[in-house]
Amino acid sequence: MTLKVLVVEDDREIRALMQSSLSVEGFEVQTAVSISEGSAILRHSPPDVVVLDLGLPDGDGVDLVKEVRQRQTLPIIVVSARHQEEQKIKLLDAGADDYLTKPFSVAELLARIRVALRHRGTALAVAVKEHQLDDLRVDLVNYVVESKGEVLHLTPTEFKLLARLVRSAGRVVTHRQLLVDVWGAEFTEHTHYLRLYMGQLRAKIERDPAEPRHLLTETGVGYRLAVN
Amino acid sequence: MRYQYDWWYADPIMNTSKPLMRQNPSAKNWLILALLLVLATAVCFLLETHVTLTSQSMIYVLAVVIAAYKLDWLTSAVGAIGAVFALNFFFVPPRWTFEIESQEHFIALGVMLVLALVISRLATGLRRETEIAQLNEQRAQQLQGLASHLSEVQTTEQMLQHAQQALDTAFAGPNTLALSKDGVALTDDGMRQCVVDAATLGPGTGRWPGLNAWYVPLGEKDQITGAACIKPALANDAAGLEHAQALCAQLAQSLWRLRLTSKVQAAQTEVQRQQLQGTFLAAISHDLRTPLAAIVGAASSLQTQHDKLPMPEQARLLGSIVSEASYLSTLTENTLQFVSLTNATQEIKKDWEAMEEIVGAVLSRIRQRDVNRRIKSKVPEGLPLVKADPVLIAQLISNLLDNALKYSDGAIDLTVQADAKQLTVTVKDHGPGISEAAQAVIFKPYTRSDQSGQRGAGLGLALCKAIAQAHGGQLTFSARKSGGSSFALTLPIETQPAAKELL
Repeated sequence: MTLKVLVVEDDREIRALMQSSLSVEGFEVQTAVSISEGSAILRHSPPDVVVLDLGLPDGDGVDLVKEVRQRQTLPIIVVSARHQEEQKIKLLDAGADDYLTKPFSVAELLARIRVALRHRGTALAVAVKEHQLDDLRVDLVNYVVESKGEVLHLTPTEFKLLARLVRSAGRVVTHRQLLVDVWGAEFTEHTHYLRLYMGQLRAKIERDPAEPRHLLTETGVGYRLAVN
Repeated sequence: MRYQYDWWYADPIMNTSKPLMRQNPSAKNWLILALLLVLATAVCFLLETHVTLTSQSMIYVLAVVIAAYKLDWLTSAVGAIGAVFALNFFFVPPRWTFEIESQEHFIALGVMLVLALVISRLATGLRRETEIAQLNEQRAQQLQGLASHLSEVQTTEQMLQHAQQALDTAFAGPNTLALSKDGVALTDDGMRQCVVDAATLGPGTGRWPGLNAWYVPLGEKDQITGAACIKPALANDAAGLEHAQALCAQLAQSLWRLRLTSKVQAAQTEVQRQQLQGTFLAAISHDLRTPLAAIVGAASSLQTQHDKLPMPEQARLLGSIVSEASYLSTLTENTLQFVSLTNATQEIKKDWEAMEEIVGAVLSRIRQRDVNRRIKSKVPEGLPLVKADPVLIAQLISNLLDNALKYSDGAIDLTVQADAKQLTVTVKDHGPGISEAAQAVIFKPYTRSDQSGQRGAGLGLALCKAIAQAHGGQLTFSARKSGGSSFALTLPIETQPAAKELL
């Protein structure tokens, strides 16, 4: 079955580029030039993944993300320019799955779409229970974290933090989402907790904490657990 | 000059207990008068057996002269009369009565009364003249001192402070000063009116004589910068009014000078800004055109000669398009960031950040261009957190590492260190270094020390410096003894946020 991608992008060149490079990869591509057109397509012929550009002429996209999230679990990837940090984070917090910063390469776009789709599959079935990459293995059911075959001792908060990232493995999780899910809604301003616990987790999990392999930093946005 | 100023101006005793103004007569004067008369009477009693009535009257006259010189006119006139009565009562026969026996004594006492009154009138007049002369002298000194001091003043705030002090030294007050800034109306009615009239109001000025203060505009018509309210204001104190106006004229002049200076400075800044913008555009357009030319050249060659080009050549052209475009992208990013940082209207958004994370994220991106792993990073554990905009700091470190990769061969050391006060990120390379001439300008926007035909990141280092400064930090360059360059970013370490015990 062909997977359908909806590209909402107002720039003609970029729209054409995405259409051609995604078609080549076997996707069926629908395009929209505005948020209203995008949400019309979403209602009538729902795609499997949405690539949503920021700064569309008729809105900031938050409403679109919220609308989609009310009814569907389909992944949304936000495409933003560098100066649109805040808006991008707003959309991620509203439920978008991942982001790409312009200019991006076609390879990056494809990688993000692949991760997003894999998640959609698992999210629909059962929640992620296990994560494995290289020497790291996380078993959420039995509360076991292993590195290089040895069982690591994590504190409860460290485990909660890692588990939250495992559930969204490969996707970015914003600072806000992590703080709310691990510490609680009243801790959204306590970014320093994240820095400190992330430092501790890296010290336990990473071979070289200064150049992490697993716990990746998305500067200014959040963290991402590497999947490949 | 400074000494003279301190003497009359900053002396707190002078300032509080003896302002440059006339004192009012008081109960103290009456006491002094009484003492003088008692003293004269006592002396007369002591000398009674040795001298005649003539000498005794002379002693009373002496007391009247002293009183007249030291005390005000009213007191000394009363003293003169008192002296005549005392002489009559105590010494003129019949003694201990106010009666006068002989006609001669009556005439003598009458002459003495007239004499005493005339002397007291003359003496108080003399004293007042001396006082006025002294007061004028002090006021002249104050004006002179104020002038010399105001000439050194740099800001309006300083000026107002000195002005207030000067007014309070010269007048008992309460005195107030207010500036009418850019058409903002003065709140005090009197001040507003004197600015509108461009003339002094109050007693003795012929305008609004019923007021209890002088309202003096600061400056001439059309150049009025504010107003002063000065108390006490007396209709007959012409010299005081004159002094108040002289002080205000000086203040006005000084204020006008300050305004002109700031206007001149603003004009100079504007000229500099325009020059900078010119250089900026020239440099940017050069930096943009070169890669654009390469991209258009490669792309059009692929478009038109596609079939004739051998595969490796096609691949080379494609590679050139990608690398030139990514260079353009960095350049655009740096330029936009630099413009927004140097347009100080925008505050950067700082949060608690771990430097090891920022460095880690930068390295993961830059390793794609550092396939031989020339960058060796040394980041200790347990670094304190810093308040920073992580995107900007990452951009700074990226720029430094990019430059090092581009301009040097061999290892590049990236180290992070922290002490109690600051965190330092150092990037050292083993390249040819930077010539001394070039060192002077590397942080200036739109200059490039690039002589080798390689392209730099345009205003990369200027942006780095601006980022460091926006964080209250520094970016410094030092040449390494072994050759190569060393760039150090220092960021201040603030009090660490309180964290619950880590569990």
